[in-house]
Amino acid sequence: MHSFGVPSWRDHDLTFDPSLPTEGINVSRVHPLREALILVFGVIGVTVATVASIGFVVDWVAPSIPPKYEVYLFSDWFEAEEPAAAPKPRAEALRAVLDRVSVHWPDSEYRFRVQIWDQAEPNALALPGGTIAVTEGLLDAVTSENELAFVLGHELGHFHNRDHLRGLGRGVGMSLVLFAVGIGGGGGAAQLAAIAGQLTQRGFDRDQESAADEFGLGLVAAEYGHTAGASDLFEHLRATSDASALASYLSTHPLHGDRVIRLEAVARAAGWPLTGERSALGSKLEAPSDPSSETEPAADPVSTE
Amino acid sequence: MEDAMGIAVLQVGIPLALLLLGYFVGGAVERRHYASIQERELRWRSLPAVNFRTVPGGWIVDDATLVLGNVVISVDYFKRFLAGLRMLFGGRVKVYESLMDRARREALVRLKVETVERGYHALVNVRMETSQLASGRGGSGVAGIEVLAYGTALKLRTPPT
Amino acid sequence: MILSNIETIPGKNITRFYGVVSGSTVRAKNVGRDIAASLKNLVGGELKGYTELLNEAREEALHRMTQQAESLGANAIVNVRFSTSSVAQGAAELFAYGTAVQVE
Repeated sequence: MHSFGVPSWRDHDLTFDPSLPTEGINVSRVHPLREALILVFGVIGVTVATVASIGFVVDWVAPSIPPKYEVYLFSDWFEAEEPAAAPKPRAEALRAVLDRVSVHWPDSEYRFRVQIWDQAEPNALALPGGTIAVTEGLLDAVTSENELAFVLGHELGHFHNRDHLRGLGRGVGMSLVLFAVGIGGGGGAAQLAAIAGQLTQRGFDRDQESAADEFGLGLVAAEYGHTAGASDLFEHLRATSDASALASYLSTHPLHGDRVIRLEAVARAAGWPLTGERSALGSKLEAPSDPSSETEPAADPVSTE
Repeated sequence: MEDAMGIAVLQVGIPLALLLLGYFVGGAVERRHYASIQERELRWRSLPAVNFRTVPGGWIVDDATLVLGNVVISVDYFKRFLAGLRMLFGGRVKVYESLMDRARREALVRLKVETVERGYHALVNVRMETSQLASGRGGSGVAGIEVLAYGTALKLRTPPT
Repeated sequence: MILSNIETIPGKNITRFYGVVSGSTVRAKNVGRDIAASLKNLVGGELKGYTELLNEAREEALHRMTQQAESLGANAIVNVRFSTSSVAQGAAELFAYGTAVQVE
């Protein structure tokens, strides 16, 4: 059959040995829990390191993008979203409050715009390009002009620190990381990386919120001569039984235990009076007298439309 | 807030429960399977099985036929999760090695049982084929593995001892 | 251990045979190599990272097969065959098998 011209095993009788090979040669002897520990910490470590380093790079790059360029880039992003249903007088009154605080940031290169979003959850957002969005729910919740001014000042602080750009950059970075993990590792790995990544992001978010608080407080103190009312919103939201409204506001504005205390400490350190007369909200800004919109706010956003 | 907590508990709790289920039940299933494989390998080990195509010189063959043995098995959730993580770093996927080992040996032992039950005495030209069934998304999708072992069963005038 | 992929070891006599021995290992590529490979895929050519990966894994499979044969008391494996199959997306099994024999 073959051309080697050598004795083949066909030519003679053979002994058969029925022994079985040693068990376990083809399986790596490693305790699965050890493997699990190494891998889980590996994935967490790599994700945290990657997300954090993207965060630092973004924090370093974002402030060097000129606001003018940012405005140009995002100028038409949020234009179309302005809901026609928003009562014009309310937007104008809001605009007036914004002007009162933004005056104290004279070297701003933004041309700020306000939008009122028809949502029952109290929230406010700084959007790329210089747009501040405030929800109907937030306007319904505030009780004094000082309170609202601080919210707007806080959002101005985000623009001042370029947090909206940093958030955008980190979001893109995070998606890239999760995308890579998703291709490589699939479901479980992606979930684990998402949790680790979000916790890392939260650290950045917290620092940003504190910095924005400080900036906003400075504007409020400059305008009213005191900082009374600045932390009223947190107290309201905490006092209200509507837990989901709080959850909604905190999801973008994490409340790290002592935010109110921190605000007071900042004010004290800067020598801003903690007490003073709160200015009343103008009648145009006040919550509509219809009680139904106050008692059942965030639970079902659809019902308010 | 309670809603958010509830969702978080579900998001973490369900996979965690599945991991525990996979680790404990999956581990027990594997140990039982190995015990069964070892027992049957020992019982049928006196049946010669080689991957030669030719027949030893001393054997007088009366009859020959094609026989097959196959098995499809899958890993537990815990191992699939670990394998998914391993795909990120690359390298040896230890948790899948036992899967392949079990599948191979199971298919081979079934091939031997088939041979004996049909009244044959030896196997030559044993081959093995592996295929992956129904792949899901990513490494954690599905690891349903089929191993097919096949060979030519020989009926010998004087069975080997 | 003498290995061959024919049914004999040329120049030697097979005196005893055992049965099929096999060696296998499962390996995964990693995301980094994957990204490098997908770039390389644009222009074609050898994916060196993967060549190394599979080569190393196949060595391991051979080594394990040899260990099985040694545990039987064999000194040669004839008719060695290789096969590679995908276990899950991104993971491949390298498998080697042959018949363990004793030669003189």
